[in-house]
Amino acid sequence: MLEFGNEIKCELLGKFIIENEYDIVTVRQTIRQFAKDAGMGIVDQTRITTAVSELFRNMYNYAGGGEVLIERGEVENHNALIVTCIDKGPGIENLELAMSDGFTSGMGMGYGLPGAKRLVDRFEILSKVNEGTSVRIMKWK
Amino acid sequence: MSESINITNIKDRIDRIEDILASVAAGDMEARIQTETEDDFSGIEAAIDLLINDLTEELRQREKVQKELESKLEKIQEQQKTILQQQEDLLELSSPVSKVWDNILILPVIGTLDSQRTQVMMENLLQKIVETGCTISILDITGVPTVDTQVANHLLKTVTAARLLGAECIISGISPAIAQTIVHLGIDLSTIRTKATLQDAMIFAMKQNKRDDEIRALKNIVIPNEHAD
Ligand SMILES: Nc1ncnc2c1ncn2[C@@H]1O[C@H](COP(=O)(O)OP(=O)(O)OP(=O)(O)O)[C@@H](O)[C@H]1O
Ligand SMILES: [Mg+2]
Repeated sequence: MLEFGNEIKCELLGKFIIENEYDIVTVRQTIRQFAKDAGMGIVDQTRITTAVSELFRNMYNYAGGGEVLIERGEVENHNALIVTCIDKGPGIENLELAMSDGFTSGMGMGYGLPGAKRLVDRFEILSKVNEGTSVRIMKWK
Repeated sequence: MSESINITNIKDRIDRIEDILASVAAGDMEARIQTETEDDFSGIEAAIDLLINDLTEELRQREKVQKELESKLEKIQEQQKTILQQQEDLLELSSPVSKVWDNILILPVIGTLDSQRTQVMMENLLQKIVETGCTISILDITGVPTVDTQVANHLLKTVTAARLLGAECIISGISPAIAQTIVHLGIDLSTIRTKATLQDAMIFAMKQNKRDDEIRALKNIVIPNEHAD
């Protein structure tokens, strides 16, 4: 399991498992609610919800599912909503390629990862072949 | 001055106590010593019977609580089943395609578009296009809260398939927030005709209808014999 350093002081808001399309929808809704609670407007809510939707779908499609951590923390003086997606799937061989617009190894559009990155304030990804992939995104007002 | 202790049959009575306690330990909650003798030892025997009574009562209570908990759990599981069923029903909501006007089909999409539902929706729409011969269809996504790459992909495919059948597909109900999000994702929807609201889409469709009618009428005047039927 690939983990990010915990240099940020966070408060855990929730921990979820994604293993089917239902989970994608319900956890996505939960995150929209947290964004709303954090005082984000409809545009920011939609951005973070769409970004996590991409990450969840990737976990579900390529790694058969994974785990989601939702946290709140202080990042660069912002009150950030932090979502970490961890899977133990096949990992990504070429991260640079996977992060580029239009690259898909399957039948997708290839905009999930680069698109998610553009939708949030901070995007980090770790991946190792045969070990898994972890993505952490942060969004603030 | 020492008092003398008066106990009869002590050996048999201790054996009986042992037997009774063993029975109780093995789960026989009816077993009691019930001594008939009246002497210095019978107090202890009666006390043991009382303890067994208390224990029995305690166990009975516990069983009752456990049964209540079990039935509550059952109820919760039952409710959860219902909720799951309802969620499933919601997802499988038939996608109602209706012909609202001459030549115009409307498909309102509500809720989340997973791959399975999109498949059903697309099939419904395409079949209706074939059945009615309508050349304009409006896909209204006002009720779709999240448009991610997968949903966008499905929409593009639906529009392309409709086009192959000779129908133009207009997508309406893209909110400003969703429009911005689509742009950030990087998805190009410029090949699709989109309208902000269902109303705009309807107006467009009706104008289009009128234009088509005029063209048809014009054709009929210029070359009246073109259509043999
Ligand atoms: N969690 C993951 N595990 C393994 N491989 C992944 C994972 N996430 C992404 N990938 C790989 O990276 C590629 C790019 O992902 P991205 O989300 O950008 O596009 P996509 O999923 O193919 O299509 P889209 O998201 O546009 O529908 C994927 O095709 C896949 O090969
Ligand atoms: Mg993807």
